[in-house]
Amino acid sequence: MLASIIASGLAIGAVYALIGIVYNTMYSASRVMSFTAGQIGMLGGVLGSLFILRMGLTPIIGFLLTLAVCSAIGVVTEIVAVRPVLSKLDQHLYVLTTLALTMMIQQVTAIEWSTEPQPFPRLFAIGERGPFDQRFWLPLAACAAVFVGLEFLYRRTLIGHAFLAIAEDNYAARALGLPERNLRVASFALSGAIGGVAGFAAGQLLLAFFANGAMLSFYGFVPIAIGGLGNNRGAVVGGLALGVVQQACNFIFGGIFASVAVFLVFIVALLAVPQGMFGMATVRRV
Amino acid sequence: MQITRRGLTLGAPLAVAGRAAMRRARAADASPILIGYPAALTGPSSAPGVGQNRGVTYIVDRINAAGGVKGRKIQMVTRDTQGDPTKAVNAVQEMMASDKVHAIFGPNNSGEALATTPIVARRGIPNIHCCGITSLIDEKKFPNAFRQTPNNDQSSDPPRIYCQKILKLNKVAVIGDSTGYGTSAVTDSVNNFKKNAGDVVYQAQIDATQPDMMPDMLRMREAGAQAIVPWTVSTGMIARLLNARGAMGWDVPFVGHQAMGSGEVGHLLQKPEYWNNVFNEGFKNCSLDAAGKLPARTQDFVDHARGKMSLVNTSLWWIVSAVDAIQLVADAVSKTDSSSPEAIIGYWNTLTKYPGLFADYTFSPTQHNGFPSDELVMSVASSEHDGAYALAPGYT
Repeated sequence: MLASIIASGLAIGAVYALIGIVYNTMYSASRVMSFTAGQIGMLGGVLGSLFILRMGLTPIIGFLLTLAVCSAIGVVTEIVAVRPVLSKLDQHLYVLTTLALTMMIQQVTAIEWSTEPQPFPRLFAIGERGPFDQRFWLPLAACAAVFVGLEFLYRRTLIGHAFLAIAEDNYAARALGLPERNLRVASFALSGAIGGVAGFAAGQLLLAFFANGAMLSFYGFVPIAIGGLGNNRGAVVGGLALGVVQQACNFIFGGIFASVAVFLVFIVALLAVPQGMFGMATVRRV
Repeated sequence: MQITRRGLTLGAPLAVAGRAAMRRARAADASPILIGYPAALTGPSSAPGVGQNRGVTYIVDRINAAGGVKGRKIQMVTRDTQGDPTKAVNAVQEMMASDKVHAIFGPNNSGEALATTPIVARRGIPNIHCCGITSLIDEKKFPNAFRQTPNNDQSSDPPRIYCQKILKLNKVAVIGDSTGYGTSAVTDSVNNFKKNAGDVVYQAQIDATQPDMMPDMLRMREAGAQAIVPWTVSTGMIARLLNARGAMGWDVPFVGHQAMGSGEVGHLLQKPEYWNNVFNEGFKNCSLDAAGKLPARTQDFVDHARGKMSLVNTSLWWIVSAVDAIQLVADAVSKTDSSSPEAIIGYWNTLTKYPGLFADYTFSPTQHNGFPSDELVMSVASSEHDGAYALAPGYT
């Protein structure tokens, strides 16, 4: 039982962590919490199933196409829902614009794809049963790869430094001549690709289902609340913790009471550390 | 006012002429019979609506192609509620206030029907129900509401009888999703087992979007369940439960909701054999015999409909029950020469063993649950063919 709790808890936690990273990547570049994060994750599973199972493409081609389309959705998010409201961030208009785009993505998927969950292909013929099943280890592997890749990007590459610069202070970055808008678009494309990886890796776990988007948007937000907004390490630790606690609550309490228990645990955690585990308390000049 | 012989002599021919004129006017009434159809046609609870809509479209086209009901065409006023009670309420309000429908079929989702039933009852519009929640039918509070499908009390019986009498298993786990239907169906099923000396060792509502059902399956096994009785229309939840059962290597029988036989479940299973030992509730008129044939009346319908509408990826009972619902309205108008609510409701209240495709319905002023319990059976979930299922082992 313990192996099952850990395997499935870490797997679903890794998906939450990846969606948390999508939120963070979008937020860093724009200071906007885009609710499309979960929908892009949902599209990763739906598009993977579409390309591989329905269209018969190879898994590699299907994966690359999924990433391309999800990146494009990320860019569309920036153009349609973020850019128009950037000048009025203090009014939180992005809540409306990103939510509207979220609803549109969900409804179009429901109409064009299916309102019932659809299967996602098994990509690796190893560990068909038990904790080493693809649906458990693949999301974890994807999360690790994305985390390491982002660390490398942000610490070792020039474009990564540019991303960090606009995340730190976009006015100063612009003053230094950095193309802020292009970097923001690239950042949204990157976050779209990360969402695609999350959905694709979790395809067997979550199935290709249009309603996953709302669930991922919701649970993907929790890791960044726990870990600290804008902090990918916090998102990973928070996501994995959320997954394991959620699965443990499923075992201990069962049924819908598990969700209540999960949120009780995290409300207590946030009361204890309001800025999140890895977040810094905001200093206000008086 | 004084009545004189002369007045009567003059009045009688006038009255006769007036009645004749009214009869001519009525005979010439070619206005359409408007039937409201608020249904979840998209969204996660849309599987029944999609199947029913095929039946509705087919029978309306067929009646209209044959000249309508005494010259009156049937016109559906369809609104997609997406399973949302608010949208369903808005839809029925619009149907009654603006479209002036003569009858309403639906909604086909219990949560929506709970919201719409009192509203429709206030206007007295004849309402055919296809939802299970037992309290939806109350002949005193809602004299306009008639149910053509089994209620949850009736539906609780076949799985319980199958577990106890045929499989000889008395310790059961009763689970459902967290929707209005799932919650009430679990309560009714648990009460039904307890009333009949059944031992409910586990009872739970489960979030249908939960990605891993292993925790719940392990809890059921630890509780000592010998059979699992699920109540949900969520094919994803059913498939995850069956995949978890397969991964555990626990061959516990699943005995419950019709949705377990949906083709969507088959697509989501990791191995085809995970569908074995699964029995979904079925209906005599939609069950295949050993020779693979349906009862004569239903077989005739299927033979006639084949090629004119799709019978795949849905349940036959959803199609034929919808056909019956429209036919019930059409027959009421035809037999009473009126589409008034009083005429339609009055006609339905007189029906005894009305020969529908889905069932032989019986309604009376004091009984609006028209589906006969003895037409409920259990089926082999993996045996679907054109939406019909083979009878489960143990039935003759």
